[in-house]
Amino acid sequence: MNGFDLLPALDPTPNPGPAWLFHGLLVLTFFLHVLFMNLTLGGTLMAALAQLTARGKEGDYRTVLAARMSGINSYGIAFTITTGIAPLLFVQVLYQQTFYPATLLIGSVWLGLLVLLIFGYYTSYLYKFKGAPTKGFGGTFWLVSAAVLFFLIAMIQVAVNLIHSQPETWTAISDHPWSVLGDPTYAVRLLHFVFGAVGLSAAVTAWWAVRRARSTGEGGGETGERRDLDEDIARYAWRWALAAVFLQVVDGFLFLLMLPVMTGLMTTPASAIVLTVGIVLAVGLLMMLTRVRNPVEQPGAATGVLAAMVAILAVMAITRHQVRVLYLEPVTSQLERLSAPQWGNFVLFAVLLVVALATVAWMIRAVLQHPATGDDAA
Amino acid sequence: MDYPLWHLGIGGGILMGIVAVTHVIVAHFAVGGGLLIAATETMAIRKQDREMRELARRGSLILLLIPTVYGVVTGVGIWFVAGLISPAAISALIHNYVWGWAMEWTFFVIEIAAALIYWATWGKVTKGVHVAIGWIYFVAAWISLVIINGIITFMLTPGDWLQTHKFWDGFFNPTYWPSLVLRTGIALLMAAAFLVFPALRAKVEARPQVMRWIGLWLVIGLALSATGYFWWESAMPDEARVLFLGEGAVLPALIATRSFLLWALAATAVVGIVILLALPKAARLPTAIILALAAFAFFGGYERLREGTRKPFLIHDYMFSNGLLVQDIKTVNQEGVLSRSPWAARAAGVSDPSDLEGADPVKVGHAVFQVECAACHTVNGYQGIRPLLGEDPTLVSAVIELLHIQADDYMNMDPGHRANLENLTYPFMPPFVGTDTEREDLVQYLISLAEPGGSSQAAQSGGAR
Repeated sequence: MNGFDLLPALDPTPNPGPAWLFHGLLVLTFFLHVLFMNLTLGGTLMAALAQLTARGKEGDYRTVLAARMSGINSYGIAFTITTGIAPLLFVQVLYQQTFYPATLLIGSVWLGLLVLLIFGYYTSYLYKFKGAPTKGFGGTFWLVSAAVLFFLIAMIQVAVNLIHSQPETWTAISDHPWSVLGDPTYAVRLLHFVFGAVGLSAAVTAWWAVRRARSTGEGGGETGERRDLDEDIARYAWRWALAAVFLQVVDGFLFLLMLPVMTGLMTTPASAIVLTVGIVLAVGLLMMLTRVRNPVEQPGAATGVLAAMVAILAVMAITRHQVRVLYLEPVTSQLERLSAPQWGNFVLFAVLLVVALATVAWMIRAVLQHPATGDDAA
Repeated sequence: MDYPLWHLGIGGGILMGIVAVTHVIVAHFAVGGGLLIAATETMAIRKQDREMRELARRGSLILLLIPTVYGVVTGVGIWFVAGLISPAAISALIHNYVWGWAMEWTFFVIEIAAALIYWATWGKVTKGVHVAIGWIYFVAAWISLVIINGIITFMLTPGDWLQTHKFWDGFFNPTYWPSLVLRTGIALLMAAAFLVFPALRAKVEARPQVMRWIGLWLVIGLALSATGYFWWESAMPDEARVLFLGEGAVLPALIATRSFLLWALAATAVVGIVILLALPKAARLPTAIILALAAFAFFGGYERLREGTRKPFLIHDYMFSNGLLVQDIKTVNQEGVLSRSPWAARAAGVSDPSDLEGADPVKVGHAVFQVECAACHTVNGYQGIRPLLGEDPTLVSAVIELLHIQADDYMNMDPGHRANLENLTYPFMPPFVGTDTEREDLVQYLISLAEPGGSSQAAQSGGAR
């Protein structure tokens, strides 16, 4: 028996919409998820290493950076999970036959992801509320724990993705679940995500520091902000971004060469175009990063780098999906899933999504436009 | 049936119970707490009451640290666990209700964003904006309950969906409205149970007023819960009620669960009214803990009862608790259950499930057990099969035979019409499906469990039939 003989039957319920719609929604929502996920994983890893290298020295730009990252990370984690729900939903619609078996084959580990996530989330909060990161070495343990836990989650996600894409490996993994780690593409795939996550987090940090430095001005801010501190953070984050993108590009090419479906990817026009755009953007990004010494002096570059990172992420979300489609082509080409579209429900969902985003935007706008202090404040 | 085998030693039901019950407690607090916190802040602004403001602020910290962390992760966790213990069922639900879940997700996005902004902007924005965000949070949270309630109740009472397979026919099913009233009431009970703890930190002179305020919401929650619960009971189809109500009730465990939850509701009422309304000055940590435990017990009991009354189905009249579709009984009886379960056949060393000649009967029986029984039964743990086995092998054989005959009853029922459970010998168990050989092998395996060292026999057995 091979994996194809072991495929579960198609769910008899027709899909409540055409496949292209779910593919589109899967890619779109995965892109949103991966934006926040990158900040959570990359931001925590970067913050932990910054905190460790600064050895908790008070006022050091690295401990300040760690504190800032943790400040936004608790929101980032919440949105990582929230935006992760939608792609998890759509992947089950499209890939019921391969997704569930993948999670079942490493069931205990998959379940362990929840435990890691809960602990990762709470350790982040412990660092934020109790770690006193800018006042000594305290809190480092929680921060490093969170980084390790999030990294383990990334490992599990990559493993499930690999198993789900390769039914031909199922019997071997059923007998030896850890063998998934021996997949030739496992390490490069994992590193691809990790470097990407660190790169985006570093770009966000640099952009943020540049904005703060420029608003503070040469002489320092009225409330005591230090421009030099933000300049140091911006330069530090810029170096992180440069290193991460360089490693990402090297790893990306290695990953591409190792992909069993590389030929398919390069010979399918749509896939080839998207991939080429991604590569061009990545190389351009690398050049942009190398040409800047002090990002505070070139704020446009910081914004450009961040925009390019987000664009690459969108392109790579599409390529990742195309790789999965190619991997699973031997399975899906033999099956014809029926669909009975529920267009009314889809339209209702789309309208509600717009309403939800508008409501969130309204809340943010209202908060920014109606600041208050003292007795006037809530 | 045709997914890889994954069974936890403690039993899938226990695992789901731990994840789901703790999740729903937190998730319902997220709804009721949202209402209570927004109402409390509104009151605080109107009366310029610092203590009420502090109650809302502390409550929102609990909202931040429990529902948006543990609640969110375990919410996803229910999908994870369902995908591991009942992949066919979660797949069926998702393929029918993906747009329902997607709609719920849009409100969830608002809910999470509002919760985070609400906590982060205490003392930083105008009162009007802040309290408006609190109300937005509550409305989004409650609508997400309104949506998910349709999917949960669909599993117990699919209603006209069985004939039409239409989204809204299953969504607005016979227990939808009673369940919505009940769950809204429970949300308020959970809010009172959680918020009584920060209320204990109010200044001594202000504490009675704060406790009475929470008590008021508790009373509303009690009224809605009791009304919703008895309405829910009356809306249940007779075939499901017969399991735990009336003189002929057939499931003692569910009868006991019903008594338990009603006593727990009564305890919540008594303790809550005494410590929150009658003697608010006497409220202390132990009494708050007792109130919370009573409310959790009521809710946990209700969830246990709801799950239990669905037996032997995951989706009533459509899919059994082991993933077997009612419509597939005939085919599986003809082709054999292992022909439908390649992973189980592989585990038993069977290369051709249509020809079991030469295969080890105990191993085949073990594989059949894994597919048909292990969704509910472990060997020694929760609902352990070994303690249920008598010493008389003919008894085991007779039980399996009866379960096999029940398959005919299910086959003979009109498609899309509720199974007449009253007439079944084992109305809470799925029928046995499969060939005669598979049935005999299952009996052999079960008998082997009753023998000394039987637990390891299946794994070691090397004999052929």
